[in-house]
Amino acid sequence: MITNTGALFNVTTIIPFVKLAILVILFFYAIFALLIVRQVDLMSKTLITPISPVVLAASIIHAGFAVGFFILAFGIL
Amino acid sequence: MFSAYLENPTQYFFEGQDSDEKIVLLVRAHLITNLSWIIPAILIFLIPFFLPSAVLFLGFDLFSIPQTFLSALLIINYLLVLIITFEGFLYWYFNVNIITNKRVIDVDFESILFKNIDTAPLSMIQEANASVGGFLGIIFNFGHVFIQTAGAKVAIDMKNVPNPSLVADRIMDEAHGVVGP
Repeated sequence: MITNTGALFNVTTIIPFVKLAILVILFFYAIFALLIVRQVDLMSKTLITPISPVVLAASIIHAGFAVGFFILAFGIL
Repeated sequence: MFSAYLENPTQYFFEGQDSDEKIVLLVRAHLITNLSWIIPAILIFLIPFFLPSAVLFLGFDLFSIPQTFLSALLIINYLLVLIITFEGFLYWYFNVNIITNKRVIDVDFESILFKNIDTAPLSMIQEANASVGGFLGIIFNFGHVFIQTAGAKVAIDMKNVPNPSLVADRIMDEAHGVVGP
């Protein structure tokens, strides 16, 4: 059991809050990443440039990682 | 490709462009204005290097937290750096001002779900004013260009564009080319 009795905070009491905070942050981050895909799509249609497809691909990969991290954190924490 | 001042760009097109419409000038905010997101991104990137000593000073040993939690917090930190960098780049790259042989267009993505496009035909443009101000503006020669149309209100404002006086002059040259001397 992990405890740090001499410290200002007790580790065992804050762990559930840290877990909840991490999951909430990663959940909203995943939502935000999906919104960015839509935003980049809109931007790429408004201004068509040579790097528009690259930026769109980057945003899709980023959203995939964001959703993946949320699922991973949900599983291992 | 990543220039803030492009004359006669051939690989750039915009939504609603006519077949006989040609982009004469494409400007976006000066490269140096990106410091407003680059500096916070660097500071957040450095947080994990200083945080353990800072919380230890407060009487809490960060390494008493399980390794998986620390890894998750580290990942969140670097995701934050990534998103600040990506969003900063997107807003800089896609917020552009386009001057074509027919009109002036100001494309503004002000937030994640808000897009604003102002358009003024060259024939309606009455004057274009350039202003340079601030420490960085004077050093790097960037500033604002305000375009006034026949509607007696500032229809288009180009913010932090490089060579503002040159841009204003180019707009008036194009406008006179349509309206006449």
